[in-house]
Order: sequence, then structure tokens, then C-alpha cells
Amino acid sequence: MGGECAISRETLTDKATEYGIPVGKLEMEVLKNRPLSEEMSNVVDMFKAFTTAFLCERALKEDIIYHGRTGHLVVPGLANVLRVRAIADLEYRIKHVMIRLKIDRNKAKDFIEQIDEDIRKWTHTLYNADLDDPSGYDLTINAANLSAENAASALVNFVQLPEFQATPASNQALQDLLLAANCRLAIGSDDHCKNVNVGIQADKGNVSVTYMPRQSNEAKAIPDVLKSIAGIKSLVCTVATTNLLYMAEKFDPNDDHFFNLTEIAKKWNAAIEIVRIADEDEKPAEDLLEPQQPGITSNNGETGGILDDSDSQIVSTDQGFGISETVDKLIQIGHAGGSRTIYGGVDALLKSISKTEQYSLVAIGDVFSSKGGASQRMKREMLGKLKDKFRVPVIGTEDLKAKYLFGPKQLFNMIGFAGLFALIYLIGFRFQEPIMTFISKGQFGGSLTEKSFAALVVFLCIPVVAFSIGGFYGNLLKWLKVE
Amino acid sequence: MPGILGEMFVQMTIPIALQILLLGFIGGILSGFIGSGGAFFMTPGMMNLGIMGPVAVASNITHKFGKAMVGSKKHGEMGNVDKKLAFFMLFTAAVGIRIAVQVMKALFSSQNGQGDTGGAAADLYISIIFAVILLFVAISMLADLIKSKSSDETGPSTRIVEFISKLKLHPLIYFPVADVYVSLWVIMICGLATGYLAGTIGVGGFIGVPAMIYVFGVPAAVAAGSELYLAMFMGAWGALNYAFEGMVDIRCTLLLFGGSLLGIYIGAYGTKVVKESVIRLTTGVIILLCVLSRIVAIPVYLQMLGFTSMDPAYNTYFNLASKSLLFVSGISGALIIMFFVQKAYFQRRKLEASLSLAEIPDSA
Repeated sequence: MGGECAISRETLTDKATEYGIPVGKLEMEVLKNRPLSEEMSNVVDMFKAFTTAFLCERALKEDIIYHGRTGHLVVPGLANVLRVRAIADLEYRIKHVMIRLKIDRNKAKDFIEQIDEDIRKWTHTLYNADLDDPSGYDLTINAANLSAENAASALVNFVQLPEFQATPASNQALQDLLLAANCRLAIGSDDHCKNVNVGIQADKGNVSVTYMPRQSNEAKAIPDVLKSIAGIKSLVCTVATTNLLYMAEKFDPNDDHFFNLTEIAKKWNAAIEIVRIADEDEKPAEDLLEPQQPGITSNNGETGGILDDSDSQIVSTDQGFGISETVDKLIQIGHAGGSRTIYGGVDALLKSISKTEQYSLVAIGDVFSSKGGASQRMKREMLGKLKDKFRVPVIGTEDLKAKYLFGPKQLFNMIGFAGLFALIYLIGFRFQEPIMTFISKGQFGGSLTEKSFAALVVFLCIPVVAFSIGGFYGNLLKWLKVE
Repeated sequence: MPGILGEMFVQMTIPIALQILLLGFIGGILSGFIGSGGAFFMTPGMMNLGIMGPVAVASNITHKFGKAMVGSKKHGEMGNVDKKLAFFMLFTAAVGIRIAVQVMKALFSSQNGQGDTGGAAADLYISIIFAVILLFVAISMLADLIKSKSSDETGPSTRIVEFISKLKLHPLIYFPVADVYVSLWVIMICGLATGYLAGTIGVGGFIGVPAMIYVFGVPAAVAAGSELYLAMFMGAWGALNYAFEGMVDIRCTLLLFGGSLLGIYIGAYGTKVVKESVIRLTTGVIILLCVLSRIVAIPVYLQMLGFTSMDPAYNTYFNLASKSLLFVSGISGALIIMFFVQKAYFQRRKLEASLSLAEIPDSA
């Protein structure tokens, strides 16, 4: 390899602590399984950002080796990272711990179990990932069967493979990760906005920051704070309660499905992040590092509800996929949540998007249009995979209207439920005496059959009543856009 | 309600119906906002309207069955339900509910023979359990809040989780959605307690959710979703049991649905726009006032049972004070939540656009 720099988890932790991130406190919170407060969630964000920035900064200068827990997760979405897991059977580990710590077998076993459990909690809390998930690694080495020297030799050979070489695209991805991480660190280090819980995306220097409405006042300082960060070509700050992810092969801001999605974003006060899924062979080469034309300008504050229409546009070479037009549209309506392109289809997508990213809804547009008759089936399979990954509603854009918006169908449903609601009340109160006489058999000497029948009737009626009334209110509030 | 029915069920006048509807609405707001419960307001509220304790509990648990069914469907879509955990708790929770129903039935039957006492023993029993449990919940919640403000400690304490995990009480069961290992014995005990309290005071969630967080170490969102899923089955089982005993006033249940299913949407919306510390403070104070309301009513039941020689004329004042405290706590809590909701609703319209777009100078 040559020229590589080895970085340990301990080094990283020390540096983060020096930077002012309370890593020790965070570890205690995580290891105690304590639900994280808003403040601690920000510490998690800061630690992850510091880790990313520290590693990316060095990786842009030279080859690096990072060894430590969650090493395979710290720089997500980079193809040229060899992610290795080192394992050994329990007996081998017990022997080593007994020698190293000079303790007996039982204590060594307990020690190992405790360490494994702690690492598992850490991985889950910070990255929402399962440490034992084999899909997170490229290679697993069993230290009990392979000497350290031979393992190192095998890894050196492995890392020479073309898949693990830096490319302009991987360098750009590194720069974007670094830029987003630096922005996060700057926000978290500023006295005015350090408590703002932000989501940050960077794509070829275009940075998108989203934050909660209740933190609007503190978040006003963000643009000023980020002015000093090198590498930002454009910045969009969006106030949003939540995030929606919209994925497709190409985008059209005048498309009905896109309109439906923006309607949902307005209702939920959400930012929409758009992700273009592209085939691996579409990946551009050298032009990726060419500077893009600087983008957005505009006002510096609130405009009483109507966004002061931007007097300039994001200019991007998205080759007719509609990304820049769609992002422009989202900026105009105030729901921009950033954009990016992921090359390599669904598998690359699953690897690239972190489970820790908080989305309320994932909407999938046309993604397999070139596959003809198989496209529907392939899209269904993709929806299934994404549901497993995100554990939030994942839906095709064609179903958005029926599921989340108020149209003629919902109006019809609302009227139907209202009718049922009224009928239930009418019957319940018009005939209350015979109904109560029937239901209260258990108190007034009813036979076993009568009591059982009364209980069964109550049991069967309740879901009908609940779904009728719930359906009415659900549709009513959907109509009033209170969700 | 004429004849023998009138001895057990309230005469449903329009003012009473409207008050139950309002109780449901406020309970729904509190339930949607706090994440569990709501019954802590509705059950004593109905008792204050003259509805007998066991009938109030039975009607409320029947209402809870339908409400949890609608809510858990929504939570399930968000991936917050650990069905395996809910099912493991369900078995002992069902036993807990059955025990609660039997105790209630025994207390209630013993009073039927004594005429005037009108279920006072059952009411006293419900009130004491209610006050003790919810006092503990409210104090813990407020103490946690104060502690987290005055020290570096964040989030709820995990001392119990740590203590139990050290005991390693096998068999340990893994729950994939919550991502925790929990001893089967611990689950059974917590399930039993949750079921018993759901059956007794209709607020199993106040035990189920903290148990999942503090004892099992489950993340808060998954705890709320899983408890709601569990509540659906507990509610169903409770409804079947109480309906079998003829204690459900279906009219009250219908009215509660009419208010709560609207309120729950508004309360849930409120959680998105209110700070975590405000949510915990509001919740703690509301519960504390509800407990106080129940404590004020206890002398009345004691007098009715002949345990004190208090002049019965004072009962009216105690009832009035109890009712006032309950309504003050519920209404003020609901008003605070609605204030935040309407503020956020209009602010959302105002701030619908991006707040700022910044020009990045040449330094980029």
C-alpha cells in the first residue's frame, strides 16, 4: 500500500474529546441503554460528524487504515473502502483475555460478553445497524485460523483490487462527506445555534440544511456560521418538521405525482430530499471534479410566508434528469431537502443511505422504466427491501394521493364514515333502554349464553365503531390539513 | 334509565352526554400528547359525573380496545411495534386483567346488597390504586426532569435495567425491533402488573410504557407503539370480561370515542411542535392534579362506608372540589396543548417557505 496512515478508535476518541465533544459521557449514556435526550442526540451527531471529518480529511491526502468498532459504518456510501471484520472463536478470545488481563476463565468470559454487548449497543445507537449483519462487510477474517502477518498480507493484496482504488467519483463523495461533516461541526460549535437539531446533505458542494420549526430563531444564525466553511457552492436552509425521501430515475417538477408529494410536504411541513438512482455504467468520470457554477442567492430572512422568489437558479449538469429543475421548484415552495445521485441501482442505494437518517416517508417514482413488463415486479421488490431498511412507510408515488391526500375518494369515504357515525349514535341513544338491558345481562341474572352473547356483540361492534369514527376524523383532519 | 337499570347506569341527559364527550376529547388530547393513558382523566371524570367506578372502568377499557386498534395500526406503519414483546407480555397481562375484574366484581357485588353505599367500596379501591400508582408516576417524571436539568444526567434512569441485566435471569428472550434481551420472568411480572392496572383503573399504559423503558431498556418510541399494540389485546380482553359481567355502559363508550378519536390526532400533532421538557412538565403536572382530585374524593367514600363520622353534607363540597380539580387539570392541560397546536399550525403556514437562502461569498 505505502504511505498509509493507521488511525485507531482511541486516537479518534481522544481527538474528539479535545475538540470538546463529551465522548465519555455519550458512551456512558449509550452503554447504560439510556434513551438519548435532545442534547445527547446532538452530541451523537457531533461525534459522527467529527469522525467523518477526521477520516475524510486524511483520506483525501493519503490511504488510511482505521481500526475500531463501527469502522465499517463511519464513511457510508464510499465504494473504494475495504470493510473488514476480524473475528475469533470464543475459546481463542478467552485464552487471550486470560493472558492479557491475568484473570480466570469465568471473568474473562464475562468480560468478553460485556464488551461485545457494549459494542453492539454503540453500533445500534449511533448507526442503527446490526454489528453481525454480514452485508456490512467486504471481508471477514478469523484471527483464530490466520496469523496476523498472513492476514495483513492478504489484506494488502485485496486492497490492490480495482474496486478499492480511488476514483474522481469517490474523491467527490469524500469531499461531500467532509463538507457536510464540517458544516455540522461548525453549527454545533457556534454558541447561537449549537442546540439546533439539523439534517445536512452535501452534493458536489451544494449544501442543504434542514431544521425543526421550533428552533427557527436559533437557526437564523446558520447561514452566517457556514460562510466560513470552504467548499460550499450553494446553501439552502429549510425549516422542516420531518424529511421525505423521493427516489426515481428522473424527475419532472410538473409531474402529478411530484405535485402530490409536495402537497404532503406542505401538510407535514417536511423537506423533500431527492435521490436519483442511476445505473453503475452511467457514472461520470473526470468531469466530476470540475467546479459547478455557483448557485443560490436570495434573501436573508422570513418573508411573511411567501418565499421571496430566488433571483437565480441552481445550475447543474444533470443531463436531462430533471434534478436541478425539481430542486428549484422545491426551493421556491420552501421544501428543499437536498439532492444526490446514487450509482449502482438498488443495492448501492441500500448501502448508501444510512438507517439513522430520519424520514417519515419514502416515495418511489419510476425506477425500472427500461425493464418493460418486469418493472412493476422489480419496483415491488424494491419497496419491500426499503421497508425492511427504513421501517417507515415506503410507497410508490402513484399511491400517494390515495393514501395521504384528500381527493374525491377521501371525500366519499368521509361522507360514508360520517353517515355510519351518525347511524351508530342514533341507534345507540334512540334505543338505549333495550340495548342496555341486553348488554347488562351479566349484572341482572342472565344465563351463561345470554352473557356470552352480549359480550360477543360488544366485542364485535367496538372495532366497527372505532374505525367508523376514526375514519371520519382522519379524513376530516386530512381535509383540514392538520396531520 | 328506569327500573333496575337506573340503579347501576346513569341517566343519560344531554348535559351528561356532552360532558362525557368533552372528557373523551380532553382525554384524547392528553393521550395523544403523552403517548399513553388518557384514562387517568376519563375514568375519574366519569366517576365525578355519578357513573359508578366499575362501570366507568369497564366503559373506558372497552373504549380503549377500539382506540388502541386504530392507534396501533398507525404505529405499525411507522415501524414502532415490537409484536413479539407485546405478545410475551400479553399472556400474563390477560391474567392480570382477569384478576382485576374478579376483585372489582367481588367489591361491587358486596355493595349491591347494602343499597345506599352504591359501590363506594369499589370506588374507594379504584381511587386508592389510582392515587398511589399515578402519584409515583408523576413524581418520578418530575424528579427525572429536575435531575436532568440540574446535573449531567440525561434521559430516564437505567439503574433497574442494569440491576436486572446483572442478575441474568434465564431464559433471556431477544426482541428484534426493540433490540433488547429481557428475562422471561421479568416480562411476566411486568405483564401481570400492566394487566392488573389496566383492568383496575384503565391506565395500564402508565405502567406498561415505563416498564418497557425503565425495566426492559426499550427505546421510547418502540415502547409507546408496542404498548399500544398490547393495549389493543388487553382492551379486547378487558372488554370481553367486563361485557360478560354486564358492566359496560355502551353509551359512555360511544361518547368517549366521539371525543377521544378527534382529540388524539390533535395531541399527537402537539408532540411534534412542543419541546421534550415542556411535554414532560405538562404531563407531570396534569397527572399530579388528577391524583389530587382523586385524593380529595376519598373522604366521601370513607364516609359512605362508615369509616369516618364526617357529616354527609360535606360530601357535596368534596365532590365539587374533586370535580373542579380534575376539570381544571384536564382543561388547562388540553388548552396548553391546543395553544401550541394552533400556534404551530399558523406558524407552519407562515413559515412554509424556506426561512433563508444564503449567498456564499467567494470564500467557497
